[in-house]
Amino acid sequence: MLNEWLAWRWVIPATAAGVLLALALLAALLRTPVYKHIICLKYLFCGWKAVVPMVSALPAALGVFLLILVFAIMDGFVAETREMTRGTLADIIVDAHMEGLPYYDDFVRQIENLEGVQAATPIIQTYAVIRVKPRYAGIRPIVRPCVVLGIRPSEKAEMGRFQEYLQRQRGSGYPAADLLKVPDYLVPPSQAPHPGCIAGVGVIGTPMPRAVAEIGQAGAEWRVLLAFLTALAVVVFLFVWQASRRRPGRRLWRVAMLVWAGTAAALALSATLIPVTPTRVERTQVIDFPLVDYGGDLVVSTIPVRASGALDVEAGGIPRVSSRALTLVDTFKSGYWEADSTNVYVDFAAAQQMAGMDGQPPSDGKPGAAARASQIQVKVKNPAQASAIVKQIDGAWQAFVRDRPEVGLLHLTVNTWETQQRMILTVVEVERNITALMLGMMFLGFGILIALISYVMAYIKSRDVGILKALGARDAGVGSLFLGYGFIIGLIGTAIGLVGALLMLHYLDPIELWVNSTLGIDVFPREMYYFDHIPRHLSVPWCVGVSLAVLVLSTLASMAGGLLAALKQPVEALRYE
Amino acid sequence: MSETVLEARGLTKDYAMGPQTLRVLHHVSLSVAGGEFLCILGPSGSGKSTLLHLLGLLDRPTEGSVIFEGQDAFAKPKRWRDRLRNEAIGFVFQFYYLMPDLSVLENTLLPAMIRTPAMAWPLARRKHRQRALQVLGDLGLAERVRHVPQELSGGERQRAALARALVHEPRLLFADEPTGNLDTATGAEIMRVLTRLNKRDGLTVVVVTHDERVAEQADRILRLRDGRLLHGD
Repeated sequence: MLNEWLAWRWVIPATAAGVLLALALLAALLRTPVYKHIICLKYLFCGWKAVVPMVSALPAALGVFLLILVFAIMDGFVAETREMTRGTLADIIVDAHMEGLPYYDDFVRQIENLEGVQAATPIIQTYAVIRVKPRYAGIRPIVRPCVVLGIRPSEKAEMGRFQEYLQRQRGSGYPAADLLKVPDYLVPPSQAPHPGCIAGVGVIGTPMPRAVAEIGQAGAEWRVLLAFLTALAVVVFLFVWQASRRRPGRRLWRVAMLVWAGTAAALALSATLIPVTPTRVERTQVIDFPLVDYGGDLVVSTIPVRASGALDVEAGGIPRVSSRALTLVDTFKSGYWEADSTNVYVDFAAAQQMAGMDGQPPSDGKPGAAARASQIQVKVKNPAQASAIVKQIDGAWQAFVRDRPEVGLLHLTVNTWETQQRMILTVVEVERNITALMLGMMFLGFGILIALISYVMAYIKSRDVGILKALGARDAGVGSLFLGYGFIIGLIGTAIGLVGALLMLHYLDPIELWVNSTLGIDVFPREMYYFDHIPRHLSVPWCVGVSLAVLVLSTLASMAGGLLAALKQPVEALRYE
Repeated sequence: MSETVLEARGLTKDYAMGPQTLRVLHHVSLSVAGGEFLCILGPSGSGKSTLLHLLGLLDRPTEGSVIFEGQDAFAKPKRWRDRLRNEAIGFVFQFYYLMPDLSVLENTLLPAMIRTPAMAWPLARRKHRQRALQVLGDLGLAERVRHVPQELSGGERQRAALARALVHEPRLLFADEPTGNLDTATGAEIMRVLTRLNKRDGLTVVVVTHDERVAEQADRILRLRDGRLLHGD
């Protein structure tokens, strides 16, 4: 997170602006007459009535806490979803749909010659039905729709994170070209191997609950709880301290003060000293239990579509189904459910035949057809330039069609992976933004509360306003006292909310495990979200933005009281007793 | 007595009461000499507090002017009048008007706090504190400096208010019914303090009151009735 923040191109100007702003604020605070600071702090922390501003800081704290926590989690969803979808695709996808792109190898070479392109590979994509015969007796064969993707493994491995998502061969060091090769040890010598395939874990698996062990942090939940209690104890101590100051000589107050200070110190010490130790925690997790072992057979059936766009038919006009037995060599798990539950990767040439996209020689007076590919996936050197390269590929396609008129008029779609997957990404991003907006609405309530409290405070303290003005305080100065009042309430709320959210995010996993085991619920079902952990992505600009928004809002809202105080004539305030 | 410190010329004050205008002061003119103890005597509702507020630059007259040490105060910017109230004028009110959240010492330090920037306070505080403690000690409040106003008696509160009015060594002290909320003995004690300040330190004092016994302490008495001075200055 810190590295990402440091890599942000505005980090230096933003930090410099923040430091300058803080220095300007500090200079203004130091130049302002000291009575404002002293009286403002007295209004905030003096005696039991200080409960009002302290309580009014709680909505701000809650708002900051929820906005940072929820946004961090939803941003984590967005970031991880983006990462997963990107990992299964490539930077740019040139999509010829089911019509198929002829002379694709020529076009691939043209694309690879473009500035900024690292590699390109053709892909076959066709829809199919897969039949899996489970390895266990008594379970009926399962039949599911799937998407067959024909790949050249060595080229596909360069595109995204394909190789990282393979369950068996990940990190094995096998040559990428052999990813679809059926190893001898998987198939009995007596059995002739079929072409290899890699199936998504959801394609050949069935959901099944399983007890899994996780490493939790025992004691973390108590540490967080004690940290909150310490903060509470410190706030209460401030009240007790102020109240005891009002009653000099009363021993009971001093004793109460000491007891409470001791309590707060003990809580703080306990929070620090409580050991946080790794511990084994068992949870029930629903996994996609594979119904076929590696080396097992699958049968994939497709209906080939010819270059003319016609389905392959048999006598009588019945579509000809092309079925092919494949041997499972690996499973694929990206975490992106759409891919994991439908994709079956096979060799490019085999997929081409299954889809009817292989080249057809001329026969019986009919012209032949060139072999076709459904897609070309492109890896670029700098992902930030992907959009610019999309335009270059569009231009290259126009030139390609001019040079090769036999390609014909073909609707080709060139998109970045983000545009291609915009539906799913947009949905998650919209969810995140709507949640942030709804939580942000809390701040309206907070603003109104601060405005009311500040106004009532200025009204109640109108005598004080009159006294200060009689003693020579300026109108603007007395008004700004109430702005400072609102600012400090916002500052307290922001600090509590920010610290709470950061603590919660830091200990989110152990807290989740603790809640699950204590309440017997599963607050974050993995099978539903398909993440191994609750994703989170803490955005420093977002934290700074939320904190600044609360501070600005609380200061602006307290203008209600500030204006009342500034406009109050001293004689009006002092006229009546 | 020395030269004129304060002069009022044709002070008139109107208040809008719905569609009507209520004239509280009618062309009041007076002058106050340096080191003088002046009492403005009048019954309740005669406009004496309004006159004091105008003289003390707390309110703006409808007509007329206030000349402070030769300068027309209402021809100057408001900032100038604020500064003058902070540095040259002290106020004592009938109801003390101490800030309830501040201790006696902090109340006494208020004028200094108002004119001192926060950055200078750590260095200036010691000097101001010593001065405040000295004034509070002179007024017999040395043991009460850490108490808040609600823990003080009426006489102690008024003395604390007096300490706040005197701490910055004003050139002019205004007192609005300073004994009005006190019993006879305590009121007499406050008046003794005011008289002592006037006689011993040469402080110019302007007191408004309805109490003839209080007025007897003054060098000069002006009587106000229905917003008009009965004896011109």
